[in-house]
Amino acid sequence: MLYLVPWGPRRALAKLRVEKKYRHPSIDMALRWRRTVTEARAIREALEAGVAAPAVFFVDPPQYLIVLEYLAGARKLAEIIEEKGASARVLVARLGEMAATLHEAGIAHGDMTTSNVLVHGSHLYLIDFGLADLGADTRDMAVDLHLFLRSLESTHPEVVDTMLGAFLEGYSARAGREKADALMETVREIRLMGRYREERRTAWREHA
Amino acid sequence: MASAGTRSSSPSPVPAGCDVQGLYPGAKLDREAVVLGIESTAHTFGVGVAASRPPYILASVKDTYSPSSGGIHPREAAAHHVRVAPRLLSEALRTAGLSISDIDAFAVALGPGLGPALRVGATIARGLAAYYRKPLVPVNHALAHIEIGRLSACMADPLVLYVSGGNTMVAAFAKRRYRVFGETLDVALGNLLDTFARDAGLAPPYVSGGLHVVDRCAMRAPEPWPLPYTVKGMDVSFSGLLTAALRAWARLPAAERPRVCLGLREIGYSAAVEVAERGLAHTGKAEALLTGGVAASPVLREKYRAMAAAHGARAGWPPAHYAGDNGAMIAWVGLLNLLAGIVVEPGDAVVRQRWRLDAVEVPWR
Repeated sequence: MLYLVPWGPRRALAKLRVEKKYRHPSIDMALRWRRTVTEARAIREALEAGVAAPAVFFVDPPQYLIVLEYLAGARKLAEIIEEKGASARVLVARLGEMAATLHEAGIAHGDMTTSNVLVHGSHLYLIDFGLADLGADTRDMAVDLHLFLRSLESTHPEVVDTMLGAFLEGYSARAGREKADALMETVREIRLMGRYREERRTAWREHA
Repeated sequence: MASAGTRSSSPSPVPAGCDVQGLYPGAKLDREAVVLGIESTAHTFGVGVAASRPPYILASVKDTYSPSSGGIHPREAAAHHVRVAPRLLSEALRTAGLSISDIDAFAVALGPGLGPALRVGATIARGLAAYYRKPLVPVNHALAHIEIGRLSACMADPLVLYVSGGNTMVAAFAKRRYRVFGETLDVALGNLLDTFARDAGLAPPYVSGGLHVVDRCAMRAPEPWPLPYTVKGMDVSFSGLLTAALRAWARLPAAERPRVCLGLREIGYSAAVEVAERGLAHTGKAEALLTGGVAASPVLREKYRAMAAAHGARAGWPPAHYAGDNGAMIAWVGLLNLLAGIVVEPGDAVVRQRWRLDAVEVPWR
């Protein structure tokens, strides 16, 4: 649940993780606590690494509450792609750079969709760090790109190839060609495993 | 033979008063047609008969292969299907009150599924279509689960959570196909429960008295054992949960072990419901459908209902017989496909083990 609240002379975004009746109470409480703390820590580490994210004003884990900087007028990357199509590739290349920077700091975002990237003036911000992984391995990092691609596939299938190219361009500009290739290779593995492609090799031959 | 089959049949799941034509604006249901459908993608062999007039589903009979030890061996499942097929075909026709000459087309699930099992259904359907000179209709198994769910719950445009032994998927319809918003990154929900049950020595049998053995074991636990809960975007990952649960099971004294069952079951179900919730929030749909074999679980249904209610959406699912694999769902989508002119030459009807839901164009929705 998100609330726009007054915060001194400015406004802030209060994010309250509410109870989910479909979860066992003790699992639910532990999870909301962990995601609240993770979000605050991941944002701090992202900022330290040089990745823009809304500043954390206040954290209260027992209340599952976090208060964040409000970016007035910011728009979702998804909306901009909807509007501009392939010419939004410049922004996606910058997202690739941001992702590489985040990954170099050992952080995977865990929910890197076109709805969780905000464009504010000439700046890009990453939001929603609650599912982040602060000790991320290669696979966790590859899942970031995988989720970004799927958010495009389900809403803007016509620009997937362009945006993948742009993302990898930005990623290699920061982390080098080798890291970008390795990331893409792991994305391919994930997609073969997770039933994403028909051509997965199996022991069975197709002679029906 | 180290196997026993479990047979069942069921009346039509279509609720009285449901405007079926309204669910399928693109289908010409005023054309009279009767289709026989064959399901054999995994451990169930099913035969169903569907018609373009009420009660729409005229018959559904099935026989499920259950191994006496271990999991499903694809070749043993195939041998089971070959054994039960002739009897189920005549039983389905008898239940529908029809003879084979009344059938206008034969439909078959060509995938996704286990190769050897799929090939049994494909071979039989090709033979029937060629011998009786009737059209052969290809059906995607995942699409059939969604459509029998939509028909049973009378839902026009739901967000779908499809959970079974081999699939865990969040999907919704947009631009002529079901788009997949999330799925499992590794193990499917049904497979998570079955693999745990087998490796912990609780199964087979996997289901007793209508309850999964993991549900049964969980009933004796006061509190869940802490285990990893992994959601990434709208995807879930269950491999870490499975490993951690099996480790805890091996380490703990017998009296504490039900806590592992409860932890596994609660986290597995909750994570699946959470990604469906994210899909519901993302798409803004007013209906939420739960379908697939695991949709027979009363515990999962209750969680799903609570989730949908929190978003003001109506939750629904097919009756247990139609939640699991069955021939009626293949016959139903076969009928819709036939009316839309989707047929295949018997010689071209090859099985597709990894036929993706989002690869299928759906003209009749």
